[in-house]
Amino acid sequence: MNTEIQQVRNIGISAHIDSGKTTLTERILYFTKRIHRIHEVKGKDGVGATMDSMELEKERGITIASASTYCEWKNHEINIIDTPGHVDFTIEVERALRVLDGAVLVLCAVGGVQSQSITVDQQMKRYQVPCVAFINKCDRNGADPIRVIEQLKEKLNHNAVALQIPIGLESDFEGLVDLVSMKAIYFDGSFGENIRITEIPEHLRDFAEKKHEELIDAAALFSEDLTDAVLEEKDIPEKLIIEALRCGTLKRELTPVFMGSAYKNKGVQTLLDAVTLFLPSPLDVVNEALNLDRSEEKILLTGNPGDPLVALAFKLEDGQYGQLSYIRLYQGKLEKGDVVINSRSRQKVKIGRIVRMHADQMEEISRINAGYIGAFFGIECASGDTFTSPGLNVSMTSMYVPEPVISVAIKPSTIQSEHNMSKALNRFTKEDPTFRSYVNKETGETIISGMGELHLEIYLERMKREYNADIISGEPSVAYRETITCKSDFDYIHKKQTGGSGQYGRVAGYIEPISDEEYVFENKITGGAIPTQYIPACEKGFKSCLEKGPWMKYPVTGIRIVITDGASHSVDSSDMAFQATARGAFLQGYSKARPVLHEPIMKVVVETPGEFQGNVMGSLNQRRGIIIGSHDVGRMASIEAQVPLAEMFGYSTALRSMTQGKAQFTMEFSTYKQVPQNILDEIQKKNEKKVKNGS
Amino acid sequence: MLKKKLILKDPLKFLGFDSEENIATGSTGAVVARAGVGKTAFLVQLAISALLKEKNVLHISVQDLVDKVNLWYFEMFQNITKSFESGPAKKLWDELLTRRFIMTFENESFEFGKLQQRISELKTQNIFIPHLIILDGLSYNTSDFNELAQFRNFIKSHSMSLWFCVRTSIPFESDPDELLKHLGTDFISLFDTLLLMIPEKERIQVKKYIWGNQINAERPALFLDPSSMLIQENPS
Repeated sequence: MNTEIQQVRNIGISAHIDSGKTTLTERILYFTKRIHRIHEVKGKDGVGATMDSMELEKERGITIASASTYCEWKNHEINIIDTPGHVDFTIEVERALRVLDGAVLVLCAVGGVQSQSITVDQQMKRYQVPCVAFINKCDRNGADPIRVIEQLKEKLNHNAVALQIPIGLESDFEGLVDLVSMKAIYFDGSFGENIRITEIPEHLRDFAEKKHEELIDAAALFSEDLTDAVLEEKDIPEKLIIEALRCGTLKRELTPVFMGSAYKNKGVQTLLDAVTLFLPSPLDVVNEALNLDRSEEKILLTGNPGDPLVALAFKLEDGQYGQLSYIRLYQGKLEKGDVVINSRSRQKVKIGRIVRMHADQMEEISRINAGYIGAFFGIECASGDTFTSPGLNVSMTSMYVPEPVISVAIKPSTIQSEHNMSKALNRFTKEDPTFRSYVNKETGETIISGMGELHLEIYLERMKREYNADIISGEPSVAYRETITCKSDFDYIHKKQTGGSGQYGRVAGYIEPISDEEYVFENKITGGAIPTQYIPACEKGFKSCLEKGPWMKYPVTGIRIVITDGASHSVDSSDMAFQATARGAFLQGYSKARPVLHEPIMKVVVETPGEFQGNVMGSLNQRRGIIIGSHDVGRMASIEAQVPLAEMFGYSTALRSMTQGKAQFTMEFSTYKQVPQNILDEIQKKNEKKVKNGS
Repeated sequence: MLKKKLILKDPLKFLGFDSEENIATGSTGAVVARAGVGKTAFLVQLAISALLKEKNVLHISVQDLVDKVNLWYFEMFQNITKSFESGPAKKLWDELLTRRFIMTFENESFEFGKLQQRISELKTQNIFIPHLIILDGLSYNTSDFNELAQFRNFIKSHSMSLWFCVRTSIPFESDPDELLKHLGTDFISLFDTLLLMIPEKERIQVKKYIWGNQINAERPALFLDPSSMLIQENPS
């Protein structure tokens, strides 16, 4: 870690499923000499890509956990996080983008901007991460990078500007024209390692000139010097164009677009050049923390290694040497033996081993400086904790964690498995904030919840493989929610006199539905009808009813509880009495407020060859889906629908069989909607049956 | 309740459309305007009016993507219902969504034959039975008359109706007859109704023409508020 901070790039590689992120990362590692042999994601050698170190990742050919590594390119140090494409593992993308300074948005030259590209783009927006786009798979049938650039503009509203155009496409894809230097670039040698620069082929000259002009026009908006040079019709130095493009990229007002085929080893080195030229160094990014001593006032972090430490733990892994916490340093430095403060718990901790990661391998180091990503061992903390030097009381803003939408009941088959399962659950829930587990008090079952079928399937498989836990899983169930549909009053007196001190409380007010928040409690009592010290007890009583609705036993959301009046007794009123009063008041009001059941509705996008369009739409209709629309692009069609999650179990198998495996779909949470009456009847019957069977 | 109120309030009745439908089953209409006048906003209002009357609407766009078209509907619907309570409006929106289907094409991959095939598939597989088709964004050359004529016959034979969007570059504001001359009788005769959107100083006039043996202007006309693109409730 001796590189100047200006020469450091912390970048993420994000994209839709199967766009080739891991293949691209593998080539980056190869060309930067971090690895000496290329292994394909689903290669015949069975080794799998370097970044897919988990056995399951190699087997399935998907990235499950984001993996970080670093490499060097032209005197720059690049720290890379390769993220999963599947939306079920979106938290991995979320936390990577929280700590990265820049990103490469990989797009498929055939598929273009796909549903998950849109999600990833929104995540980049959330954390204001500048990006360059890389259009991969230019060697595939149907590749059309120019169309993809148009989609970047139309679908993602990017000011996308081509910095390259392809020389040939599909099986004739030979190389690229660099629109800044106006030279042709070919990638010779068995692994594309020899770069040959020549004049632009004659047949592409006019097109290249046109695109070069477009590029200059777009760049000129970010540089007065460039504008002047254009107006004065002077020769434009490449450096001037690059500076202008960099300026636009860092402001997130321009997206430079590169292209190639990672699989065919074309365009990777030029992309690495782009990362060093256009993406920000840690010093180019404004990072803020909240000063906890000054009512969370925002303070700017300097990025200076000489200043007190501010670091964020963004990812945890439990390994054989204890907890491994990934951290990003925003200010100061961290050395072995340093004493630092966890700003959440205010606990002092001493730093032991410090490492930097290369996929599943680690290299022990003595120090991490501001701007770098590393990891330390053996310190208990939670994902999102801030570590600071003693004397500093600041916290970084947390990352967005989506709520789980699907649950499944699990049961260990043996006592040993039970022990192992509990160890596994402890670890997984700590590592992944979107994976939760709890024990259902009534049935005694362990319930795990997550972001989708695949998410839970992977964890079940990992429990089996990594912890030898033999687990029987039940039918997946969705996270239903209860809510009310009209305003209703309550006025409840709780009176109990059964010897000893009695209990007395009266609470009056109303409950009403709200759409923009989960729960609001308002105290509108005047004149001290309920003494102030009992108000928190009232709120606690109401809150306890929300965890499990009185009607269908699902959590209650979208409700405002307002208390307006009440009464107390000087001797018999207590916290406990008012908690019980509030519970009684809630039951009274809730039954009159016409409760309904809501279910999670998913946005489902299916990409299918046109000939299966009808069948796919039919299948979505059968699953209570509302088809929002279809979009025809050449031979392919993309169908967007809103489908209840409860109907989507097993859809991947159904889709595969109806389209000969040629279609794929993505699904992400969209909203909650009321369950139709016939489905509600079914759920009620099922629940009654469960209660009868005692499960 | 809200639905009934909106139907009663529907300003399209001022164009002489009856309360049941703004275009009769088996009929075809064209909305003609220059670029940027607000054709899509107007077409979406025609569609929402039909949706409220429980007609299924298939919206075909050859320029915008599904999300963008959906946003047009959402915004127009919000504008129309902004003076009503949000709860019932949300419920009604969910209901309307079940009767609307958006189909989008890239300009170069659009063919009338393909479209007919898609609509037939939707109908035969009972996925969606459209009553009204909105066809927006097609860069249509009036000389491609035969394809459109065939599509019109397809619409009629399947007892559907069509609103077709025509973008023109002819400056016809001062003399609409000039535009009609330019479009030609062959083209105009494909449509039972022609709605011309004419920008005026502070509003946009929608003038209705009916095809008999010749084209006739009908009164009164409608006006659109250029800021919200909503049809004004009182046309006077």
